[in-house]
Amino acid sequence: MKIQTLKTKNLCESAKKGGCGECQTSCQSACKTSCGIANQQCENAQEK
Amino acid sequence: MIHCYKLGGYNIVLDVFSGAVHVVDEVAFDTIGLYEDHTTEEIVAAICEKHPTVTPDEVREGCAQIEELKAAGQLFTPDTFAPMAGELKQRTSGVVKALCLHVAHTCNLNCAYCFASQGKYHGDRAVMSLDVAKRAMDFLIENSGTRHNLEVDFFGGEPLMNWDMLKELVAYCRQREKETGKHFRFTLTTNGLLIDDDVIDFANREMSNVVLSLDGRKSVHDRYRVDYAGNGSWERIVPKFQKLVEARGGKNYYMRGTFTHQNPDFLEDIKTMLDLGFTELSMEPVVCAPDDPSALTPEDIAVVKEQYEQLAELMLERRRAGKPFTFYHYMIDLEGGPCIYKRVSGCGSGTEYMAVTPWGDLYPCHQFVGEEDFKLGDIWQGVTNTDTQSEFAACNVYSRPECADCWAKLYCSGGCAANAYHATGSVTGVYATGCDLFRKRMECAIMLEAARAVEE
Repeated sequence: MKIQTLKTKNLCESAKKGGCGECQTSCQSACKTSCGIANQQCENAQEK
Repeated sequence: MIHCYKLGGYNIVLDVFSGAVHVVDEVAFDTIGLYEDHTTEEIVAAICEKHPTVTPDEVREGCAQIEELKAAGQLFTPDTFAPMAGELKQRTSGVVKALCLHVAHTCNLNCAYCFASQGKYHGDRAVMSLDVAKRAMDFLIENSGTRHNLEVDFFGGEPLMNWDMLKELVAYCRQREKETGKHFRFTLTTNGLLIDDDVIDFANREMSNVVLSLDGRKSVHDRYRVDYAGNGSWERIVPKFQKLVEARGGKNYYMRGTFTHQNPDFLEDIKTMLDLGFTELSMEPVVCAPDDPSALTPEDIAVVKEQYEQLAELMLERRRAGKPFTFYHYMIDLEGGPCIYKRVSGCGSGTEYMAVTPWGDLYPCHQFVGEEDFKLGDIWQGVTNTDTQSEFAACNVYSRPECADCWAKLYCSGGCAANAYHATGSVTGVYATGCDLFRKRMECAIMLEAARAVEE
């Protein structure tokens, strides 16, 4: 049995330092007619 | 909650509340599927029957591995966010950090499918004055709290129809940056007709992002994107877009198209964009009333979902061949993406993001402009319609019962309030068709990242 776990941001951990609000607003870049936040970059210097 | 699916030759297991992604073989895929509702020995029996070459001990080892991942918070992670959803949203509320500036409620194209009704938003034609625009920027600065990055999207209608004002406004903002320490990031969305060397030079210097409207194939584009004489615009704009992108030197841009009932096979339009030399691409399903002739039908939706999968396969092929391209909705950064605050809160429409009309009225976002009940206030008085703003402030992924069992909810934050309103009459409703497509897009996006990780 093979399980390969990808490197991902731990969402539970992100609750501790997240929420700075510096990231891009979801609709600003190229959609304008739907909401997706998965493609937003984190811009929190502290979290990085 | 987990989501298990097969795509592109990969078996993928997503652990929803930790965000962990696992690429697994067939045996692990089946074992994980049984894990929560069966004893180890029941799983051993079932797996050994389905996979005769696997021994009971191997299955037991696999179960132990799954238990380790569970203990490490990477599988079957419980939802700890629900009780804190309001608090999470609150942390990102109370400031305005982005404005969609409607610098021109007029357009030099007459696209039948335009959600902004040819740029007029069901109202009068108008362009924004420099005084109103400056005041809007001051409103943004005054209400931005400690936010450093401020975003302004030059939108319309066609913003290049108010170009001289726009350039003066950017100069004003650069001055205000020096005075306030804020940083403006501008986006220009244009149909391209008025692009010239001056626009190219200025946009490539000052705009963080440029969104260029192109629907793909000439026949598709020219069906809707026509001028007031009925002439298609494809041949006039494509060379301008190519010149702008070539001169842009790698800065952000998107070719942004809309697909409709006329072209659910939108992958052909993506290929046309690639053939034209563009690599940063976005195609959006049309937003319109269900009885509109351009509206996607249930049969179209089935085609679109297949197209999304084929698009992902094309991206894999091109990446392997050293000719990668970007599709906006498949951009996903599993390591550096948004934190849980953002994932719970969503786009921030009506709170941290608002639209400004040419005469200075505030709306929750560009899609609500013209809906008088949603007018929030204006750039001089600020938000005065606090009841409506409260509805938007209360929007988070846990405020929509329909999202409770959805594995994709932390990727869409409950979806677009405008789409929800137009589909259900409530900003806290859900646009089910949009959800269906969104889930397919996320499956494709995660698969592409899984493939990248495995192949690297």
